[in-house]
Amino acid sequence: MENLLQTIVDTEAEIAIIDITGVPTVDTLTAQHLLKTVAAARLMGADCIISGIRPQIAQTMVHLGVELNVVSKATLADALSVALERTGRAVIKLKKAAAVADQNRTPAEKGQ
Amino acid sequence: MTTKSERLEIRSSDDVVRVRQLARTMALAAGLSLVDQTKIITAASELARNTLDYGGGGFVLAELVEGVGRRGLRLTFEDKGPGIGDVDAALKDGFTTGKGMGLGLGGARRLSNEFSIHSKPGEGTKVVIARWK
Amino acid sequence: MDRIPILKFGNALLVTIQVDMHDRLATALEEDLTSKIVEFGAKGVLIDISALEIVDSFIGRMLDNIAAVSRILDADTVVVGMRPAVAITLVELGLSLTGVKTALNVERGMALIHARLKTSDSDDDDEE
Repeated sequence: MENLLQTIVDTEAEIAIIDITGVPTVDTLTAQHLLKTVAAARLMGADCIISGIRPQIAQTMVHLGVELNVVSKATLADALSVALERTGRAVIKLKKAAAVADQNRTPAEKGQ
Repeated sequence: MTTKSERLEIRSSDDVVRVRQLARTMALAAGLSLVDQTKIITAASELARNTLDYGGGGFVLAELVEGVGRRGLRLTFEDKGPGIGDVDAALKDGFTTGKGMGLGLGGARRLSNEFSIHSKPGEGTKVVIARWK
Repeated sequence: MDRIPILKFGNALLVTIQVDMHDRLATALEEDLTSKIVEFGAKGVLIDISALEIVDSFIGRMLDNIAAVSRILDADTVVVGMRPAVAITLVELGLSLTGVKTALNVERGMALIHARLKTSDSDDDDEE
């Protein structure tokens, strides 16, 4: 937890994505730890998005009575998408990037 | 085995600041991590304030402990105040007989590795917390 | 008695807490901020706690109070610079500070205050 929080400070992150794709099961202790991490990050001014929550984990948390009132996404890609949108950023297609690079090359570089 | 101890009277809100300073000095001497230092100093602040506000004043005994394979800090808060009638109720978050947030006792317990409380109406209160390295 | 200085920054007030406050100082700060919000018609209060190593329930309550009073006086309160160890401890202590907005630093805090002011300003324009 301390690593994540210190990294938020060091990188001045506005959003932290916590990916739990590799976590097989979530017991009460793990869920509480997750909630505490999210709460601490919020106190520091960073929002959290949890990604990789599998249906079984979501069910376990409901049965444990854990209320995860933080945005959660199924995949890391979805979480990244939300984070980019929230911070006013976007990823442009590679084709466009190549075309722009091409425009900036001199005729000599283009082999003409 | 206690290697160093210091006692501080808690009679005013300025003393609460002194208790935090003492806790910090001892926590550093005990070699606690930054987060652990912060936790025990904060717990000390809560308990010192309780001693002042509800116990009518008292004292804290800070002990640097180096025992069998472990090192840490133990803080004992004592007062000769009215005592606590229902300790279990007092330990629940939100319970307060004053204007506080009622997080002092329960919070101090969560922030410590060890916590014990002895209190009876008319006999005062004694709270001991410890944080180990 | 020393009092914590309050700076005027545009239509916001900026407070930097750099000392381990005793209770009287904290109470004085609450009073001073309240009167200054009214005096300057401030729309935002920024409290920089990046120098604080310890935030206990008394200080937490002070921050909550300041946020509540500001809200009544139509101002936003943003607390910035909370240290990781302090954040972890506050969560364990059970202090959620739900009435308080937070940001990583003064710059972000100011941006937050101005963003909210912009929104309310544009609302006024629409009504005209």
